[in-house]
Amino acid sequence: MKVLVPVKRVVDANVKVRVKPDNSGIDLSNVKMAVNPFCEIAIEEAVRLKEAGTATEVVAISVGASACQEQLRTCLALGADRAILVETDVDVQPLGIAKALAALQAKEEAELVIFGKQSIDGDNSQTGQMFAQLTGMSQGTFASEVAIDGGKVQVTREIDGGLQTIKISLPAVVTTDLRLNEPRYASLPNIMKAKKKSLDTVTADELGVDLTPSVEVVAVNPPAERAAGITVDSVEALVDKLKNEAKVIS
Amino acid sequence: MSASQADLLTALGQAIPAAQTSTEPAMLNQYGCDWTRAYEVAPAAVVFPKTEAEVVALVRQANAEDFKLVPSGGRTGLSGGAVASQGEVVVSFDKMNAISGFNAVDRLVTCEAGVVTANLQAFAQEQGLFYPVDFASSGSSHIGGNIATNAGGIKVIRYGLTRDWVAGLRVVTGTGELLTLNSGLVKNATGYDLRHLMIGSEGSLGLIVSADIKLAPAPEPQNVMVLGVPKLTDLLSVLTAFQQRLTVSAFEFFSDLCLRKVLAHRDLTAPLQQACEFYALVEFDESNLEAASDAFAFAMDQGWVVDGVVSQSEAQAASLWALREGISESIAADTPYKNDLAVRVSDVPEFLEAVQAEVVSNYPDFDVCWYGHIGDGNLHLNILKPKDLSVAEFVQRCEAMNPSIFAQVQQRNGSISAEHGVGLVKRDYLGYSRSAGELALMQGLKQLFDPNSVLNPGKLLR
Ligand SMILES: Cc1cc2nc3c(=O)[nH]c(=O)nc-3n(C[C@H](O)[C@H](O)[C@H](O)COP(=O)(O)OP(=O)(O)OC[C@H]3O[C@@H](n4cnc5c(N)ncnc54)[C@H](O)[C@@H]3O)c2cc1C
Repeated sequence: MKVLVPVKRVVDANVKVRVKPDNSGIDLSNVKMAVNPFCEIAIEEAVRLKEAGTATEVVAISVGASACQEQLRTCLALGADRAILVETDVDVQPLGIAKALAALQAKEEAELVIFGKQSIDGDNSQTGQMFAQLTGMSQGTFASEVAIDGGKVQVTREIDGGLQTIKISLPAVVTTDLRLNEPRYASLPNIMKAKKKSLDTVTADELGVDLTPSVEVVAVNPPAERAAGITVDSVEALVDKLKNEAKVIS
Repeated sequence: MSASQADLLTALGQAIPAAQTSTEPAMLNQYGCDWTRAYEVAPAAVVFPKTEAEVVALVRQANAEDFKLVPSGGRTGLSGGAVASQGEVVVSFDKMNAISGFNAVDRLVTCEAGVVTANLQAFAQEQGLFYPVDFASSGSSHIGGNIATNAGGIKVIRYGLTRDWVAGLRVVTGTGELLTLNSGLVKNATGYDLRHLMIGSEGSLGLIVSADIKLAPAPEPQNVMVLGVPKLTDLLSVLTAFQQRLTVSAFEFFSDLCLRKVLAHRDLTAPLQQACEFYALVEFDESNLEAASDAFAFAMDQGWVVDGVVSQSEAQAASLWALREGISESIAADTPYKNDLAVRVSDVPEFLEAVQAEVVSNYPDFDVCWYGHIGDGNLHLNILKPKDLSVAEFVQRCEAMNPSIFAQVQQRNGSISAEHGVGLVKRDYLGYSRSAGELALMQGLKQLFDPNSVLNPGKLLR
């Protein structure tokens, strides 16, 4: 079984981002970039399927600038067999990415495509679902457990207020939730070996897809600053403030 | 209240408002000791000055009324320096915690002594700058305590000790004189630099009330590697392989026993597929990843390392650091007997083996956790208490071993306290690292700055 894993290069989750002074976007200078954490979980799941003998090949794919090669190399070190970069300087959006991936899927004919449930930069949670629609594959989103059984995939989904278990047919799309697995560290010997693995580059033109954004970002604003805390002199003063200012007790 | 205690409170009341003094047993217990647990905790009172003037008045009162003062910071010290066992008055700097000035041109921040180290780090970050002195206790320790102990930590190999970041001090001496030392100057060739004498003096010469601290430019994002190193003697070859190719920000080591303790304590996963006798943790600028990978490949070819991992995100860097920074806490339940030793970096492997042999031959039933800042020649030796041994007997047996361990230190002109200070714990062993001539001069300095010995008596020096 061939498994595709789309991965996104994003600002590291632990970085406190700053908005550019002109509010046009996030300031990315001297900022650490990383594999989107949910995509990391997707790679880990695919590699585990391969280690278990269920998957035969794991292919990591990214759509974006040439710098994404860095994250694809990481995926190769973590255990992907080969990688493909759809190289573009366009600031890609979910629909464009889903189209590019669908074009690749037409060639690769993978039986399972594992996405992260969302990327932590745009928080869209759209690409996996759009891709499933474009390719007509079944989908199991927000997975906290995945079990392949013959031609079926059993997916335990994290839904509001509980877990839902569904069974879908291959070929299928799965999007990962946080609890699916704990990704391993990239081993240095494997990073060295990964240098010999193939990383192909294609362009959107070659795939015949249009990546032009369909949504225009008008402005990016930081969240409002929280007012500083205050110290009160007595319990009475505290109760008074909670009642009359914060209005959290009555 | 006994008569003498009433007298003391009256005397204190003339220096500091009564609301800033406490004799409540819980407060005395809390403020009367540091991280050590081996000493009786018996202060007469704890006071919380809010101004320099109150500190000056306190010291003058102590001289006039003959009571003793124990300066107290974040109480994370490991040498008993902030312990009050003899009815002293604890002077806590908790309420002098303002960051009172910042100058972007000088890159200097002025802090009162009680500013928590982590708050200074956060302040620096807000200015787009960096305060590089860092260790596991920085969330509690004070900048004043750091200066009084010349604290080191995990970035010394690149950024130096607390001493290297202190550009000015305000200090109240044992006679109650307020001195301004250096005041932020880069150059000042006007004789003895009393600022540096104060740094590391453990509250025995003066009370630090504020400091001008230099800040560094913000570093690039950092990457962290953890490497498996089977042989202790190869650790330094690994360090050299890295240093020949790049500037490292940290180079730490720990033994497999330490790792197992942390993994069990924190419920973390092992970094490498297979356990290894020792591990090195290397941190470096992200842009040096290529050079660091070359160093790893070279060390692997040489057979010095057998495996390694590298962080792919800040979260992974933090969880790899947790393996090293969590050690101290994870062994706390084993009542470790700590020694904090330093020799020249090049002497480390051979020294470590000599000490290990010493411990094993004397006490085969004791487990030993080795970890530390090996890139600085600084080793933390932690002997773990066997479950069935009483604390008293355990400490006694460890102390009995100290002379032979310290003799190994002395032979190599090493230090019996690399960065934790002397306090009470190491006071009687000072002769292993300092000559009689030096000790006599140190006594003379104490006499000069604090003639009535009101400041931290019995600490550092007898
Ligand atoms: C988990 C853990 C990890 C640690 N790791 C490191 C490490 O890596 N490197 C390292 O160097 N240390 C380390 N330490 C030791 C400790 O954190 C440092 O010695 C620290 O600098 C102590 O600061 P403090 O404010 O807690 O001082 P305290 O413990 O309160 O006092 C330390 C000494 O300074 C004196 N003092 C305090 N404030 C003043 C003042 N304003 N004026 C004059 N004298 C004063 C006290 O009397 C005492 O002698 C560690 C401790 C712990 C618990």
